[in-house]
Amino acid sequence: MVPDLTSLEQGKRPDEEASSIVLELRKSTCAYEAGRPAISEISLCAHKGELLCLLGPSGCGKTTTLRVIAGFEPIIGGEVYLEGQLVSAAGLLVPTEQRRVGMVFQEYALFPHLRVAENIAFGLRHLSADQRTTQVHAMLVMTGLIGFERRYPHELSGGQQQRVALARALAQNPVILLLDEPFSNLDPDMTGKMRQDLHDLLRRTNTTAILVTHDHDEAFAMADRIAVLNNGCLEQFDTPEAIYHMPSTPFVADFVGQADFIPGVVENGKVVTEIGEFPNQVGYQGGAKVVVMIRPDDIHVVPAENSSTRILARQFRGSENLYTIGLPSGHIIHSSEASTNVYPVGTRVVLEVIATHTVLFDQDKIQQWGHNPLPDSDATRGTD
Amino acid sequence: MTTAIQRTPPPPLAVFAFTVAGLITLPLLYVSYLALSADFAVWSRLWATRIPELLSNTAWLAVGVAAGSFVLGVTLAWLVVRFEFLGRRVWEWALVLPLAMPTYVLAYVYTHLLGSGGPVEEAWQALVGPEGRILSAQSYAGTTLVMTLDTFPFVYLLSRAALLNLNVSYEEMARACGASRLSTLFRVTLPLMRPAIVASLSLVILYVVSDFGAVSLLRYQTLTYAVYQQITGRYDQAAASVLSLLLVLFALIFLVAERWFRQRSRFYQTIGRYRIPERKPCGPVGTILITAYSTLVLGAAFVIPTLLLIQWSVASVAQGALDARFVGFIWNSALLSGLAATFGVLVGTPLAYLASRWPSRLNVLCLQAAYTGYVLPGPVGALALLVLFSHLAPFWYGSVTILVIAYIVHFLPAGLQSMEPALQQVTPNLEEVARSLGLGLFRSIRRVTLPLVRNGFIVAWVLMFLQSLKELPATLLLRPVGFDTLAVRVWLEASEEYYQLAAPSALLLVLLTLPALMLLVSKDWRAA
Repeated sequence: MVPDLTSLEQGKRPDEEASSIVLELRKSTCAYEAGRPAISEISLCAHKGELLCLLGPSGCGKTTTLRVIAGFEPIIGGEVYLEGQLVSAAGLLVPTEQRRVGMVFQEYALFPHLRVAENIAFGLRHLSADQRTTQVHAMLVMTGLIGFERRYPHELSGGQQQRVALARALAQNPVILLLDEPFSNLDPDMTGKMRQDLHDLLRRTNTTAILVTHDHDEAFAMADRIAVLNNGCLEQFDTPEAIYHMPSTPFVADFVGQADFIPGVVENGKVVTEIGEFPNQVGYQGGAKVVVMIRPDDIHVVPAENSSTRILARQFRGSENLYTIGLPSGHIIHSSEASTNVYPVGTRVVLEVIATHTVLFDQDKIQQWGHNPLPDSDATRGTD
Repeated sequence: MTTAIQRTPPPPLAVFAFTVAGLITLPLLYVSYLALSADFAVWSRLWATRIPELLSNTAWLAVGVAAGSFVLGVTLAWLVVRFEFLGRRVWEWALVLPLAMPTYVLAYVYTHLLGSGGPVEEAWQALVGPEGRILSAQSYAGTTLVMTLDTFPFVYLLSRAALLNLNVSYEEMARACGASRLSTLFRVTLPLMRPAIVASLSLVILYVVSDFGAVSLLRYQTLTYAVYQQITGRYDQAAASVLSLLLVLFALIFLVAERWFRQRSRFYQTIGRYRIPERKPCGPVGTILITAYSTLVLGAAFVIPTLLLIQWSVASVAQGALDARFVGFIWNSALLSGLAATFGVLVGTPLAYLASRWPSRLNVLCLQAAYTGYVLPGPVGALALLVLFSHLAPFWYGSVTILVIAYIVHFLPAGLQSMEPALQQVTPNLEEVARSLGLGLFRSIRRVTLPLVRNGFIVAWVLMFLQSLKELPATLLLRPVGFDTLAVRVWLEASEEYYQLAAPSALLLVLLTLPALMLLVSKDWRAA
């Protein structure tokens, strides 16, 4: 629960310098229409064997980034390097077929006129017939598809189709594997198992991969590092733990999990808020108006007779109870409690804040982002 | 209770549908019976003399036209879907226009164009000297050319739809697997279009095999033409029925092929999101090349023939062609086609309704039976009705009734194809909701069912009307004495090479077909 802050702040894998960089984007900008970039000045890199997630809401530019790497979209600024080779720049576009990227589309795009084995062998024309057979067989074994080689795609389940798509992409021994929301077409009950299988497979084959997703749970479960995108811009590029605990923008904080923003003022080197004092780690000036980001798992409730803080609602989520709590000022905050800690709505409580580190943002920044931390009329109704 | 929503179809409806289905299949069954009961001597004589030649002529024509339509249809579809050039949207529509030309009209225009002393020969001789010869329209090559120009839009339409529905992810995937552009075209794009291409080619072949108008004017001996000649020239019903059976089997193969590949194409559609491929912008050179190619094809298939028809019509009208007789032909055509279309809708409705609401094996079989018209080329259906009526109801022989029946048998499939989907969208739930809201049976039909099916039925009516309007061989064989239609006039006058005389009727047929063609095409047109 308590993260190791020193490694978080560096936001790097310990062996980063030693391992070789497979993919590098330097300030890459791509625009479908002039003047309206779909992604602007994205910089990120992936090391050999690393699994990177591009995370963000729909329309944030994550798929565009993937398509830029694949060479489907040209860029109008910046550079893209694959294994040290410049493959994209303004006016330069090495065609996809010369990049050796493995691609798994959201809908898999298995060639419907070809059997499973023929799909997997599609990119292996340069090999001899014998080598091709050997390679296809190896892929079938690796993805557990032995016995399905003569089927057509429409005769397979969703999970099997995904594995064929994966086998086809990996068969040509790609420099990097690009996965565009590979779990979105699958039954939600199956995705947990399939994520684990994919993760194991990529580790076993030491494949460098980039996975696009809008689901932060998926990103947390799979990624070595996560790039959070919003409106075509890179908001944060870091380890899952750092993204969760030390979000660098209010958007990231809110997108990767439930977060509350409580306003406070810096006084005597402390951030003073309604729910207590927090260390001023970032070094704001005295008197500065800030907001503190708090996650529900950092807050616990203790019933107290005379408190004017009250429980407004309880949402039972199986493994936890999520309480919505009204503060005297009208602010709303959430608390995650064990599923057995049941308090009725209206219970008066005091809050215990157990935060090991503080995430602070300017109040201005919050306003710009559009999230209004000030109480609205609905929220005040529950308080005295 | 009569007003309850029923689990089983009302008996009168079922009996009616069953009777209609039986009557519609009767001509086919009767022709088969005639052929199979024909004297063995007839079979062996035909095998020894006519059949090998007729089969090979028909097959070669089908192959030639299929090849020609394939090249024209696929390349033109490819150009308008994958490239952006000046006037693309106009071309996209215009390339369908040749479908408005009945084959016999195009054939007669080409007998003039390519005839000796015709404009093409003159131009050629001016170029290479007086000894220059060109291909005659009345040859294998000429017939193939005419039929190709008339049928390539089928391939164009289906290929275009297939290309528009093709998920670009497949092509991108191929590129990611290291395939070049050209290799992607041959290994992925064309194979993915295969069901659409094969289905459209089957349609083309079906059309060629059952065509009578063009081959008769161009004197090219196919099975269909031979059946007609056996009936009219030699009055040999046994021989005609033998040839008819062969023809039906021939057509059946391609009908089944078409159905089969249409079925398959559903596996080729992708689930989830898909992107429309981007059109590649063309520079001036590309635009000129594409425009030149399209102009050549469309000019040959539609523009030049139409202009020629207009020119002849003007001359003909100046000589007083628009007399009372001409109005009479129009009236005859409109009467016959209107009757056929109206009765077609009336007869088809219970069949389609039963099969969509109570899809029992029997009801679906009845509906399928109504599609036999597809494999019954005009002269064959006419032959069956001719013999049937002369045996059973000689007083109806040579009446308008027998003609209308022939049209319905022949063109009901075309109507059913729009009536079926229209009826299918009226689910029982919709009617049940109407009933739950307090509407009686008839009011719920009037306020829910009819508005939903109206458009589909109008399209069906228009289609059957137009097909009947253009119909030639059955009309020639079955019409009452002296009862001529526009189509018959065109054919009779063109056969005698009275080009100008035939022009007003021909032009009128083309003009009447145009709006309906647009209606039909816009039904599943996607501009994208």
